[in-house]
Amino acid sequence: MEIRQPSWPVQAIRYGVLIVLAVIFLVPIVFIAFTALKSRSDLLTSPFYALPEKFQWGNFAKAWNQGKMGMYMKNTALISVIKVPLGILVEALAAFALTRLNFKWSNAMFAFFLIGMMIPMQATLVPLNIFLNKTHLVSTYPGIILIYIGFGIPFGILILRGFFRTIPKEIDEAALIDGCGDIGKFFRVILPLSMPAIATLVILDFMATWNEFLLAQIFITKDSMRTITTGLLSFRGEHSTDYTLMNAGVLLSIIPILVVYLLFQKYFVSGLTGSVKG
Amino acid sequence: MTARALKPWLFLLPALTIYLIVIFVPSLYTFYLSFFKWNGVAADKVFVGLDNYADLILHDSVFARALKNNLLWTAGSLILMIGIGLMLALLLNKRIKGRIVFRGIFYFPYVLSGVIVATSWAWMYNPTQGFVNKLLETIGLESWTRAWLAEPETALYAVFVAALWQGVGQPMVLFLAGLQTIPHDPYEAAVLDGAKPYQSFWYITFPLLRETLVIVVATTMIASMKVYDIIYAMTGGGPAESTQVLSSWMYYQTFKFANIGTGSAISFFLVLITMVVIIPYVYYTTKRSHL
Repeated sequence: MEIRQPSWPVQAIRYGVLIVLAVIFLVPIVFIAFTALKSRSDLLTSPFYALPEKFQWGNFAKAWNQGKMGMYMKNTALISVIKVPLGILVEALAAFALTRLNFKWSNAMFAFFLIGMMIPMQATLVPLNIFLNKTHLVSTYPGIILIYIGFGIPFGILILRGFFRTIPKEIDEAALIDGCGDIGKFFRVILPLSMPAIATLVILDFMATWNEFLLAQIFITKDSMRTITTGLLSFRGEHSTDYTLMNAGVLLSIIPILVVYLLFQKYFVSGLTGSVKG
Repeated sequence: MTARALKPWLFLLPALTIYLIVIFVPSLYTFYLSFFKWNGVAADKVFVGLDNYADLILHDSVFARALKNNLLWTAGSLILMIGIGLMLALLLNKRIKGRIVFRGIFYFPYVLSGVIVATSWAWMYNPTQGFVNKLLETIGLESWTRAWLAEPETALYAVFVAALWQGVGQPMVLFLAGLQTIPHDPYEAAVLDGAKPYQSFWYITFPLLRETLVIVVATTMIASMKVYDIIYAMTGGGPAESTQVLSSWMYYQTFKFANIGTGSAISFFLVLITMVVIIPYVYYTTKRSHL
């Protein structure tokens, strides 16, 4: 923040630059919304910047049902709802062991988990494919959820370990005096105290799962199980000439993210800065 | 082992098991596979030593192209993504009304998936109906219109513009957070000493932002070397392989051409490059703040 009130020409230039950039940033979304709400003939005849002649809300219903966008979204929601809490539980248990159990190998194990952040997903795909085939988990929800949890582990442990370390040790002694075992300490003391970190992690993890593409592309081969990213791609392939319908599909897939973003914006910003600083 | 010593391992067990199954063991096995010729189905893998690596470097022109594209992408991201992000952060750190709204608008694309961004921008670039060509026609620059994603000369840059739209919000938010930790006093002292605004920036803001800059540069480089979703979903590496990057070429070699050994070798290039960035980064951060 500045100390002195800047002169008005300086302020005018600043607002000018910001407003122009903001408009440029909004163009793609607005253009998609306009297209999605037009009829096919309207799209061909009216100028590209014109509002729809008559709003075609039916395009959304078509994309949701015939375009199967509804099904793809339900699949993604199902995976996320299981993956996110289960993953965080697993990560929290590990972070608990690394920070609060006087564990001799604590630093070494933490470093071992961090190696996972260096490994690009590409370097695991073929062996994972063999593994899923051998265990008959290919194109199943347990299979994809297991893999998603795996890739969330290094980052989740990094965040949760960082937060658990800020909880004072005196709390452990108090829990011990009150007769809490380690399990009780984990569920009744550490987890409730860590809610800010967990909330951030839930949001980031949910978004990462919702947006994941590469693993879904390789490990989900059945159309009926596709998630929103791979689903949108196949939807686009099938409706590549019907621009209004295609953009209705894109807009549908943007809406849930927009809602989550508007509701939890502060978590994105704070979680992000917290995460990279470890 | 006593029960007490065993206990941490019990808490670690689920995470450790899944981590080993999903990341650790598969990556070692991929490394092993990179020394073989294998189509993924045949019972026999033929050991070829370093041939897969040598073939990529010496004979695979698409690999060279992909590597070059990754480097171009990295350079573009370091200059434009970070540059614009820093500029936005500096602007929003001034006395600006509606800061939260502006920040929200610039950051929002970052939370969209690469596939959504790719699909949206493919529509923006549509040769006949897309916004870009329509706008050029309307303002009388019809001769500039082209099939942006279908021409090898423009495709990579067109995809990069979409990635820029998606990505500048991230460095912006990180820089904003960094700027907010800088105290007021040095600026007040600088004003008293008669410093010009650019001098304040260069001698106060910039050094104090160094930590944030290191984080932003490291994450940008890593993301640039791994870029995949947006390219695959926008051009699939085409036209004429002009937009292939290491990740997409790895995908084609492995899952389309069934050259498992070659694909594995490419993915180990990615591991190596990532390490070259991450190890100095971790060294730097742990040296400053004891982890």
